[in-house]
Amino acid sequence: MNPHYENLQYTTRRHLLGSAALGIGAMAFGSLASELQAAEASGVSANPMRPKKPMYAAKAKSVIYLHMAGSPSQLELFENKPELAKYTGKACPKEYLEGKRFAFIKGVPKMLGPLFKYKQHGQGGQWVSELLPHFSSVSDEACVIRSMHTEQFNHSPAQLLLHTGQSRLGNPGMGAWVTYGLGSENENLPGYVVLASGGKTPSAGKSLWGAGFLPTVYQGVQCRTTGDPVLYLSNPKGISREMRRTTLDAMRDLNKLQHREVGDPETLTRIAQYELTYRMQMAVPEVMDIGREPQHILDMYGAKPGHNSVAEAADDPRPLYKGDDPTFANNCLLARRLVEKGVRFVQLYDWGWDHHGSSPGESCDETLPIKCGQIDRAIGGLIKDLKQRGLLDSTLIIWGGEFGRTPMMQNNVRNDLKKGFIGRDHHPHAFTMWMAGGGIKGGLSHGKTDDIGYYITDDAVNIRSFQATVLHLLGLDPQRFNFPFQGLKNRLIGPTPEGKVVKEILA
Amino acid sequence: MLLTMLCVGRLQADETIDFNREIRPLLAANCFSCHGPDEEARESELRLDVRAAAVLKRDEGIPIVPKNRKESLVYERIVSKDPDLKMPPVDSGHSLSPAQIELIGRWIDQGANYDVHWSFKKITRPMPPKIENSTWPQTPLDNFVLARVSKIGLTPSERADRFALIRRLSLDLTGLPPSSLDVDRFVNDKSPDAYEQLVDRLLQSKKFGEHWARMWLDLARYADTKGYEKDQARKIWRYRDWAIDAFNDDMPYDQFTIDQLAGDLLPDSGNSQLLATAFHRNTLTNDEGGTDNEEFRTLAVKDRVDTTMQVWMGLTAGCAKCHSHKYDPISQQDYYRLYDLFNQTEDSDRPDDAPRAATPTSEQRNNLMKWKQQVIDLEGKRQTIESTPDFVAAMKKWEQANVGDAVWSAWTALSISSAKSQQQATLTVQNDQSILASGKKPARDVYEVTGTSHLKRITAIRLDALTDSSLERQGPGRNGTDPNFVVSELKVEIEIDGKRKQLKLTNARADFSQKGWTVEKAIDGNNATGWAVSPQFSKPHVAVFDFAAPVDLPAGSKIHVSISQQYGMSLTLGRVFLSVSGADPKSLAAKATSVKSLLTIPADKRSPQQTEQILAAFRGIYQPFAKLGEQIAKLNAQIADTNKQIPQTPIMRQLAANRHRQTHIHVRGNFLEKGELVTGGVPAAFGKIPSGNSADRLGVARWLVHPDNPLTARVAVNRIWAQIMGRGIVETEEDFGTQGMLPTHPQLLDWLAIEFRETHKWSVKSLCKTIVMSATYQQSSKVSDEQQEKDPKNIWLARAPRYRLSAETIRDQALAISGLISLKMGGPPVMPPQPPGIWRTTYSKLKWATSAGEDRYRRAIYTFWRRTSPYPSMLTFDAGSREVCLVRRIRTNTPLQALVLMNDPVYIEAAGALGLRILEKAGDDKNRGDAGFFFAVGRQPNADESKTITKFIADARSKFKANPDQVAEIIKSANINIEKAPANDVELATWTLYANVLLNLDETITRN
Repeated sequence: MNPHYENLQYTTRRHLLGSAALGIGAMAFGSLASELQAAEASGVSANPMRPKKPMYAAKAKSVIYLHMAGSPSQLELFENKPELAKYTGKACPKEYLEGKRFAFIKGVPKMLGPLFKYKQHGQGGQWVSELLPHFSSVSDEACVIRSMHTEQFNHSPAQLLLHTGQSRLGNPGMGAWVTYGLGSENENLPGYVVLASGGKTPSAGKSLWGAGFLPTVYQGVQCRTTGDPVLYLSNPKGISREMRRTTLDAMRDLNKLQHREVGDPETLTRIAQYELTYRMQMAVPEVMDIGREPQHILDMYGAKPGHNSVAEAADDPRPLYKGDDPTFANNCLLARRLVEKGVRFVQLYDWGWDHHGSSPGESCDETLPIKCGQIDRAIGGLIKDLKQRGLLDSTLIIWGGEFGRTPMMQNNVRNDLKKGFIGRDHHPHAFTMWMAGGGIKGGLSHGKTDDIGYYITDDAVNIRSFQATVLHLLGLDPQRFNFPFQGLKNRLIGPTPEGKVVKEILA
Repeated sequence: MLLTMLCVGRLQADETIDFNREIRPLLAANCFSCHGPDEEARESELRLDVRAAAVLKRDEGIPIVPKNRKESLVYERIVSKDPDLKMPPVDSGHSLSPAQIELIGRWIDQGANYDVHWSFKKITRPMPPKIENSTWPQTPLDNFVLARVSKIGLTPSERADRFALIRRLSLDLTGLPPSSLDVDRFVNDKSPDAYEQLVDRLLQSKKFGEHWARMWLDLARYADTKGYEKDQARKIWRYRDWAIDAFNDDMPYDQFTIDQLAGDLLPDSGNSQLLATAFHRNTLTNDEGGTDNEEFRTLAVKDRVDTTMQVWMGLTAGCAKCHSHKYDPISQQDYYRLYDLFNQTEDSDRPDDAPRAATPTSEQRNNLMKWKQQVIDLEGKRQTIESTPDFVAAMKKWEQANVGDAVWSAWTALSISSAKSQQQATLTVQNDQSILASGKKPARDVYEVTGTSHLKRITAIRLDALTDSSLERQGPGRNGTDPNFVVSELKVEIEIDGKRKQLKLTNARADFSQKGWTVEKAIDGNNATGWAVSPQFSKPHVAVFDFAAPVDLPAGSKIHVSISQQYGMSLTLGRVFLSVSGADPKSLAAKATSVKSLLTIPADKRSPQQTEQILAAFRGIYQPFAKLGEQIAKLNAQIADTNKQIPQTPIMRQLAANRHRQTHIHVRGNFLEKGELVTGGVPAAFGKIPSGNSADRLGVARWLVHPDNPLTARVAVNRIWAQIMGRGIVETEEDFGTQGMLPTHPQLLDWLAIEFRETHKWSVKSLCKTIVMSATYQQSSKVSDEQQEKDPKNIWLARAPRYRLSAETIRDQALAISGLISLKMGGPPVMPPQPPGIWRTTYSKLKWATSAGEDRYRRAIYTFWRRTSPYPSMLTFDAGSREVCLVRRIRTNTPLQALVLMNDPVYIEAAGALGLRILEKAGDDKNRGDAGFFFAVGRQPNADESKTITKFIADARSKFKANPDQVAEIIKSANINIEKAPANDVELATWTLYANVLLNLDETITRN
């Protein structure tokens, strides 16, 4: 008998015994795809989510990615530009407009300086605006990359490029890549969890966390805060957990008889998956229940268990945003609970950061402070909480949007500074992201932009290098980590050599 | 793994090495990315994919010296211990094992013979292997399979029993399980060709098309929304129904190909061909603000090129968008040459998805035809009525009784001396002095009319916008789809002794004005405003304008009227009638000419139109006539209503020759960076567009189905094989190129391809029949220990494949077993229950409104498919998002699937209905339990299974008895119609729970 097949059968038996298949079957990396094919060749589906060894020593084991969908203004949060402030209200010089495409700006817009006050914080002397006091207090944990740039200036393609490595559809999201590469540490929970707040899912929709050409098992599972956290998780009314057990016993017995008759190992896998499902039905609601946290932890995040926000259910949530809305904070706390339980990749999307200033609820001067109120305490709490639990070193936290915002005021609605209608257009040439935790040099400021924040002057970081750095921190060689599909070895960082690990920001 | 086994085998035997099977995969995986077809990426100007280049002398030596590995640079470098010289480079991520290196060495020693990649060779008909001592083969197909099965020391499995066979056949051919009646009929059929009869019945079933179109819709990336951020709805379901019909009609695959790729270019293309071209209008459209339409148009064209190559040739052309293909012979130039042929259509990422065409359903078409004929018949009847003496007498009497009413007498027609269009419309003066427009329909126009009047003094002018039978929908405007008109400005001048003077108009009034387009706007001096009459079409309208002061008309004076109509879209007057009055303007109302007033005109002075108008009025009064009129009006209303409902489907339409786009290579795939100019053509390595065909999409389609094309037939039969057998002969259905997997049965593949193309003339149903009539297909799927050991993945088919059903079939089967299913075919997509809050997509008003009635239980193919948020349970069972062409769904086995089957309300409802169905069977727990089991898996349970079932029933019953609350709840959850339920509630709950178990069984969701 093929020793590999024997190994997989062993794995299956372990499933039947109901214990985690930790470490079993982990093979030399780089041949993951062939391993999958080999497993299939043996006629048994190995558990594709079992933990796998990284390709080399990893700095981080899990990821919490906080994506601010719509893209917050770096000029109001991180980029203090006194020079730009001098030009507020003056026409934008021609050199910045010629040959450029904007989503909405037309003609010659006016320049717009930062709207909020800045101070330096922490030992690293990080410039952060007054809108993020809690983040400022933990700024020494984070590396702020002020020189991000992208190729896309519309939300949907820019989000796709950032998360899937391609601006068109059909490629796996980053979390799918990572769970494909590393599996998950807790088989009773999905390995890749997506949580959304802000009342809408991001522009590019579920394609951001789809499995693309990877097996669908690696797609992100959206856990919802109302209704079943995972679709169809709870038994229908009238089928108690005890009754579910009774049905599962009958299914198992009948399936076993079928296996005795026909002998297809796939039947055994099915039995194992049903048992796993039964455990998931217990484990998921448990981990999703933030009501189990003590009050002082809830306060750290600003979380409120069971809160139902009006904005979350509205057709247009933006005018309804409130600074103390705890939905995002609840998701941050959930993210910690999930990572603590061994979930590999937790993706948060917070919608409502597209501050053009053209309609109510989307301005840099009024909406942005409200949105910051929703996330700042939660993010500060998340970093502190992970640190006090000793999890910050093994968890990579990423924060950012899909592009930046222009140093010019958007002019398609009005040209004067009207309260509640000051906005900026999409800006792909320079924006800010930060990373903290596993393997990141804290307190560092990486990269610089020019005096008005239009172009990058030092240490530009493109999207592919950002992706390469994330993979590298997780112990996945961004160059070699691939999945063969349609005749190509597909990589998250794309086929070109642009993606380079940003070594300067590594601890 | 298969490859390694083969390689090791080869090392021991001293046979000639097969380049395609053993060497090319090694070189392709390890060498071609730097030493292959892509000139941009080529290192040291060395390519190893072409023998002539590999054996050429270079400064440092000869890369490959045939028959001498020691002299060959390539061999020297792959065995080198020096990390700087070692190939493939240490940091490349590639490496060769010692066995692989030895294989390459031996291949060089044998002469380093290259060969064309297997799938790029023309297909020739292979002879089925001779089989001795076996009566097993039923068809030549089996000879190919048996030869391989024997080679690994296995024997084929016994034939499956009839219960298994009918379930397998029904699921494979129609995607639905057999009914109990079907099973009885087949199992008890004593005729020797019972099996073949069953096959024929299933192939003739309309459910066949619904099942097979599903696979095609994955390829066509069919969805009911447009994709991208807004992901708005797109009405293109007529294409889905076209595909279903095409499979049901067994449309030959060559015609199927030509119609979809170029139906609009066929000389005799009809509505069905036009509809077929919606295939390539399933590309995404981006409605997001600020996007560059040209960018997304070019993306759609690229998707059409990629999809065409994927679907018909099984090749990935996509990478050649940015650089020449690294492995297969598709250069960047080839790519954009093909792109050029797809670059000549009108569509351009517009929000309305134009161009679209009216695509009536067959029901609509039949109804329209029927009703139009009925109208003709009724009108004929009416005509005969008019010549009856009774009609003539009654009309005369009526005329005499109704003469009078002075409205008309206040007005005098202008005698027209000239009527000209400033554009190219033809204006003809009619007998009654009205002016009829015909011929060209310019978007905007000015009618310039000159006339005279015998009146000495005039106070007002009147403009009648008349209907006419020469106008579409009777007018009054000329644009048939919108028979409105807009009089932007009306100007009147008087000419006395050659001197013109404009007359000021005032106090405009009309019988009717459209909102925002009131009649005074015709004299406000602004060409951007005007008088219009929507929605009151198909009837005459009138406007009256007073002169600011009465105007004296000396003898010989002329009146010039200029009617400016500047709206655009040919909203111009169809028939206009001008008259003047000398009466007191206060007495002049804007009232349409009444019949009574017409009757004051002596019969011999009436214009034909006036005569017709009078006749029309009488017809309305004359009873026998009016009755027919009512019927006709009703039919016409039905016709108009149906015409409105006819779906407008996006289609392909070629640009006029003088508007063809020039195609440049997009440097690095960027549409803004224009490279070399290219002319249209097909990839050079795959021949030319067959002679006699033009270089356009039609040429591409004919090139694909030409006998010289090595791939189309192979790819098609492989796909159909994979649908039935669970895995393709080439497992990588999407890649027949050098990076794809090799066929397990290359000769069988070619035999099937030739049979399909030559013998069966591209008939898909015949090909299906060829496969299912084989002994290979009819084997049992039981796995013996020996088989599991020698062929765990069932590559060699010594048993029938066993695999999980598709997402759609799982749903359809659950609905069928439970009896809930609606077999209604076609029509707009439906929305079965889905958890709330799934559609929370940005900036879209699209809502999931759960369908009522039978639409709740339609086959899955009719479910509304939203690209950014497909139906959850289908996604869970491995369906794609339909954003791009999906050739193969990879089957997974996950806990989320268990959650769907256990808890999705759709499946709970099915369990309720199935429970009820079981309860309706007479008998004890065992009888009923067995019956339910039979419903689910199509066979009787064995004794052990029966025992498990009855034990479960007893257990569930006692638990429900102890928990009456749960009983009430589960009945509610399962949406059971209690009035229909014959037994008590505990029984209902118990059997519902049992049904829930049945719908979750491995056997239920597996094709055995």
